[in-house]
Amino acid sequence: MVHSRREGSGTCSHRNSVRTPETAHAPLRTHSICMVSDFFYPNMGGVESHIYQLSQCLIERGHKVIIVTHAYRDRKGIRYLTNGLKVYYLPLQVMYNQSTATTLLHSLPLLRYIFVRERVSVVHSHSSFSAMAHDALFHAKTLGLHTVFTDHSLFGFADVSSVLTNKLLTVSLCDTNHIICVSYTSKENTVLRAALDPQIVSVIPNAVDPTDFTPDLQKEKTNKITIVVVSRLVYRKGVDLLGGIIHELCQKYPELHFLIGGEGPKRIILEEVRERYQLHDRVRLLGALEHHQVRDVLVEGEIFLNTSLTEAFCMAIVEAASCGLQVVTTRVGGIPEVLPDNFIILCEPSVRSLCTGLEKAIHQLRAGTLPNPETIHNTVKTFYTWRNVAERTERVYDRVSKETVLPMNERLERLVNHCGGVTGLIFALFVIISFLFLVFLRWTTPDYLIDVAVDASGPNAAWPQHNCRKKPRKKLTMKK
Amino acid sequence: MEGKEYTDIYGNKITLQQQSYNDTCQDFTITSSKMSLRSLTTWTCSVWIVAYAVFYYTQHSAVLTAAILFSIVGLLLYLHLVKVDHESLLILGSLGIQTTSTYASGRENTVFIEMCRVQDVVINEGISMHRVNYYLCLLLKDPRNPQAGVSQVIPIFQSSQPRLDCLTEIYRSCQEILSSQRSKATS
Repeated sequence: MVHSRREGSGTCSHRNSVRTPETAHAPLRTHSICMVSDFFYPNMGGVESHIYQLSQCLIERGHKVIIVTHAYRDRKGIRYLTNGLKVYYLPLQVMYNQSTATTLLHSLPLLRYIFVRERVSVVHSHSSFSAMAHDALFHAKTLGLHTVFTDHSLFGFADVSSVLTNKLLTVSLCDTNHIICVSYTSKENTVLRAALDPQIVSVIPNAVDPTDFTPDLQKEKTNKITIVVVSRLVYRKGVDLLGGIIHELCQKYPELHFLIGGEGPKRIILEEVRERYQLHDRVRLLGALEHHQVRDVLVEGEIFLNTSLTEAFCMAIVEAASCGLQVVTTRVGGIPEVLPDNFIILCEPSVRSLCTGLEKAIHQLRAGTLPNPETIHNTVKTFYTWRNVAERTERVYDRVSKETVLPMNERLERLVNHCGGVTGLIFALFVIISFLFLVFLRWTTPDYLIDVAVDASGPNAAWPQHNCRKKPRKKLTMKK
Repeated sequence: MEGKEYTDIYGNKITLQQQSYNDTCQDFTITSSKMSLRSLTTWTCSVWIVAYAVFYYTQHSAVLTAAILFSIVGLLLYLHLVKVDHESLLILGSLGIQTTSTYASGRENTVFIEMCRVQDVVINEGISMHRVNYYLCLLLKDPRNPQAGVSQVIPIFQSSQPRLDCLTEIYRSCQEILSSQRSKATS
């Protein structure tokens, strides 16, 4: 047996952010939501923080939220985070890249037990790389629960691995109630990859916490111009382009400095450039950064450079703009949708084009025509807030809960018609097997033998609610 | 003394007997259901059917002897090592907590924990096999170093595995005794 432990997680970051008027009304009905993904804290990344922040805001709006993920080494069992956010770390075998192995069957007993004891009404899976998320979708449909899926990444169509993943995605999403994408580009990509009806795909962007990313108002004005780059140093982030840019611009502008945060296999390229052109005093490589260090690094510079080659929704440029930096970025994926044109200089993903963009930014900076960092911050902080994301996600839940879950025969029909003869038939067989397995499980452990869990969040929360703002709203929901 | 009826997590009947000696001393006994004649018959019959099938093919009488020995020794070991008849939790506010499990053969297994080592009694959730269960457990601290927090966790009623309603009942009474003990210690 594994015991759980209460845990004080540090940041409840939306606490201090501004409340927009549209979030003030109470939700019409509360849902019992189960977020499933292989990726959650202590693993770090965009999906992890997305799930955490979204859950916190949904709890604040009076919903019950639990998170299901796999065990991370000694972190297993059941734990509680801030505001009674319950996390199940399930003992499932991790196969590759923090993703669990999938057989579409072995996780059914445990997931069914959790869905029943927590009285889950909506299963919300995250990330197409997560096998557990797809498993949970599959089981939830067998159990007759409503399903929502959020896709966080863009994919290609050409290579073998993409073709395979896309096929699996088609199967997994063809009978899912609703899909959420983080940008319109990502929506287009997902609709094409999974052959979906665009009507069931919504776009809800990611958010940043504006209180974490504030400009440094005490900064002294110097002649030095610093260009900041914060990204993982991998091929996808265009580190090869960065190498070319550093060399070319450093020759042209003697007062120019580069500050590069992040770690990865492509770091060697930057070190090579630095070595070859003797730029040790002008190019600083900081290595891996903790999340709380990012802001301090960002405010040291005036211009932020993003060289990504593919990106569904670029959080980094929003964070940089929130710190009051001028952003120069490649025009790829969903990036053009993210910020309005006056905060951002878009370039083609080539060294020449990016250099032109950077020179333009440098000239503006010298001429003093760039907007004041504080004005940028104040504008950007209204764009992407987690409260707004939670409210829009809630609307998806409302819509989904009114839909009907496909019954068995229609689900089989959909699979066979939608996913091609061979794949469709194979997965239809899996659906039947998992249904029979479920009947067997219901016979050995009937639902009435499963203890209903004590709610830690939601309308009947047993967890002490410190936030006084929530109380009147909760009463309202109960009345309705 | 009349006991209350509950079920364990598998749906079998269990009885909770609560005996109160005075304000700070209580005894809880959970009696599991007795071994049913049906399951005993099923097991013996299946062993014998297999034995006869093997005997039919091999025509070797040692098979039947082995089956007799197997069923008798198996039953003895089951009663002596696995089957728990009742488990009890005796809580003495001033002294300590004693847990006893009595096996069907009459063997007893007793653990006593002094009060100075007991930090608290809590209901916890844990994942075991493909279930997520509530269980009652004792949190122990190191008396030489009480600031270090919980040093050990001892689950109670591990073989009877009662459900949440039964656990809450026991938990409430335990907390009453523990809190009165604590208030005495501070005053």
